[in-house]
Amino acid sequence: MRKQYLMIVALLLVAVLALAACGGGTATEAPKPTEAPATQAPAQPTEAPAEPTQAPEPTEAPAMEKTGFEWLDRAYAGEFAGTTVTLLGVMVDEEAKKMEMAVKPFEEATGIDVQYTGTKEFETQINVRVDAGDAPDVVDFPQPGLLSVFASQGKVVDVSTFMNMDKLKANYKQSWLDMATLPGPDGNPIMAGVWHRTAGKSYIWYPKKAFDEAGYQVPTTWDELMALTQQIADDGDTAWCIGIESGAATGWVATDWIENLMLRTTTPENYDKWVAGELPFQSPEVKRAAQLMADIWLNEDYVYGGREGIVSTFIGDAPAPMFQDPPACWFHAQAPWITGFFPEGTEPGVDYDFFVMPPVDEEYGVPILVAGDIMAMFNDRPEVRALMEYFATGAGVEQWVKAGGAISPHNDSSLDWYTNDIDRRVAQSILEAKTVRFDASDLMPAEVGTGAFWKAMTDWISGSIDLDTALKEIDEAWPKE
Amino acid sequence: MISKRTGGWLSFILVNGALAIMVLLWTVPTFGLFISSFRPKEEILTTGWWTVFPHKEWVKVEELRAKDLNLDTKGEMTIAGVTGTFKEFREGIETPDGKRVKWIGNRRLGRIEIQEYKWTVNWNFTLENYRQVLMGKEIEIKKPDGSVEVIPGENFIGSFLNSVAVAIPSTVIPILIAAFAAYGFAWMQFSGKRLFFILVVALLVVPLQIALVPILRDYAKLNINGTFLAIWLAHTGFGLPLAVYLLFNYISTLPRETLESAFIDGASHFTVFTRLVLPLSVPALASFAIFQFLWVWNDYLVALIFLGGNKENQVLTMHLANLVGSRGNDWHLLTAGAFVTMLLPLIIFFSLQRYFIRGLLAGSVKG
Repeated sequence: MRKQYLMIVALLLVAVLALAACGGGTATEAPKPTEAPATQAPAQPTEAPAEPTQAPEPTEAPAMEKTGFEWLDRAYAGEFAGTTVTLLGVMVDEEAKKMEMAVKPFEEATGIDVQYTGTKEFETQINVRVDAGDAPDVVDFPQPGLLSVFASQGKVVDVSTFMNMDKLKANYKQSWLDMATLPGPDGNPIMAGVWHRTAGKSYIWYPKKAFDEAGYQVPTTWDELMALTQQIADDGDTAWCIGIESGAATGWVATDWIENLMLRTTTPENYDKWVAGELPFQSPEVKRAAQLMADIWLNEDYVYGGREGIVSTFIGDAPAPMFQDPPACWFHAQAPWITGFFPEGTEPGVDYDFFVMPPVDEEYGVPILVAGDIMAMFNDRPEVRALMEYFATGAGVEQWVKAGGAISPHNDSSLDWYTNDIDRRVAQSILEAKTVRFDASDLMPAEVGTGAFWKAMTDWISGSIDLDTALKEIDEAWPKE
Repeated sequence: MISKRTGGWLSFILVNGALAIMVLLWTVPTFGLFISSFRPKEEILTTGWWTVFPHKEWVKVEELRAKDLNLDTKGEMTIAGVTGTFKEFREGIETPDGKRVKWIGNRRLGRIEIQEYKWTVNWNFTLENYRQVLMGKEIEIKKPDGSVEVIPGENFIGSFLNSVAVAIPSTVIPILIAAFAAYGFAWMQFSGKRLFFILVVALLVVPLQIALVPILRDYAKLNINGTFLAIWLAHTGFGLPLAVYLLFNYISTLPRETLESAFIDGASHFTVFTRLVLPLSVPALASFAIFQFLWVWNDYLVALIFLGGNKENQVLTMHLANLVGSRGNDWHLLTAGAFVTMLLPLIIFFSLQRYFIRGLLAGSVKG
């Protein structure tokens, strides 16, 4: 027996020594460039069993035409070949592949290795890593609200310090640049990042085939929409599928509705004031938007599963009844990514389609609510500058647009890039809209935008507090100056 | 065993009944997860796993098109011999012969189903979930010219090997150090021994979360972030207090006579440790090894912080979390993913199981 025990201990020892030996090799080579020329000479390429990420070689760098961005041009000339830039974002799985596709032309042309890591725990990871002074070079923020925290701490590099601002201004609409301008550590505004992708959020999806068969017409005004909702209720169905459950983020779907309705019932200036905290939630403007929403949400005849269904249904599962035969609900308001949850084999334009949420008050037209991903820079190195400039051009997102699922906010992108009809029409609706405003909850301070706003809406919908209390709670959560 | 007294019977039934219920409560969710992992995506989303058992359900036997019947949906209707309003038909009306007439859909597109209450089973199994977890998903990208390019997703092998490479040293290193320390605390005399021991035990209550940022900051200076070495050291540090405490409890109760006779024979501390204490404490070592291995294997937070920056060193829990997609659209894969990640810990547990109970009771009866 004793011998046996000794054997086990010995085996464990051997195992740990062996691992320490082979691990030691991996340990010393931090995520460093694989074929750095002069600067550092790391041991050998990582032999991690994960899929081999081949070091992009500046092979036949085609004679790139000048982009007008200094660092990007120098990178295209091969000056920074062999360096590595780390990039952190929230996209995983399929979207991570598309992100890699988007930076691939850059890697091939410059020889810079862009290492993208996607995480499901973005906030935890970015906070800890920035705190510890181990920030990734470039971070893809899905919400400018979170970025503004880092900007005010002085952790973010002001891109206007090195980027050709004329070129940048030519490449974005002014409103995008305004939204990227955030207060720096001394209170003066800095250009905290560049926009990479955008997405519209003012769309209503419907099961086209059954919709046509039933003889319904796509509504063009809010009144028509409400009339059709009533018509569908009279025909025995609930018109809307709504679900707002999303773990810790439960409630954000409700904030999108309020924002969309705000844009349709008041001036864009009022909306901007509301975002800035100058127009309180208890004002008649916000209240009216909430009441329009309540006309649908709180009417048990209009919503599949009623208000209990709304708060307990996962956002991704919400549209499922729309695809029963025959549909159990007919409308679902959401950004285009929701099509990823539609059942396999359903065809856009055949089985389902979308229309832009119709106008409420004629004079405000058909505004589009958008959200977007902004690239911010934490470490200032030439190759990182080059990548940031790449993201500031349409080429930085072109491959993703072509693969589907991304809309480019750049002026030098082309509608021809969109390969599917949905993306193209979404892009077009954003281009054509007279009023485009960014998701308010993403812009508001985190205490409100990703806190009280979500929570109060959820409590109101679930029926535990009334609307006045909900709006009051949000106003009270606003950080005091 | 069998007592003739009714009291004995009663307690036998009570104890075993309570145990059976507890076992059932603990295993039913796991069992449900196991069955779900073999079901196709659509079925996971629409029906419960328990429908794989024979159960009674309304099953369609005949279908009528509402339009063909020329019904007045506003008033009373007579369909298949039963009469009712639209609302009543939507709920379903039972016929005298035990069938049910049900209107599916709305007034415009509806169809009428005649259903029977029958025994059915929902036996539609697939290995697709496991294939996607093990081999990686196939991501289809539509090209501008209409063709579809298929890109293989991340497979599971890389992160599995990474998890092994993280878990084994993170188990063995703290055990080795803790065994030395426990021996020292139990059998060696030095000043401040009690104080040091209290310090180690006090560390048990320090949550590891507060150490993440300072450690990461030091790692950044040493430039070892994202490496295996970083996470081995982290897990070793976090695991040591419990390891020392547990092993001390066991080692301090080893028979004094055995060790003393060895000392009298001239054995050094090192000899006593390697030849006597280590072999005698294998049950305690093994039971702690299971604890530590399971903790490291299932750990997400520590790996996320210390390995998160390096995609090549991604461990299984991170792979599993990413598997559901950016917006959670593939959450059904978690069923299969959970079982795949469970495999190795189960093997370890069953192979070391016989030490486990002994180790847990370490020191409790020996006095």
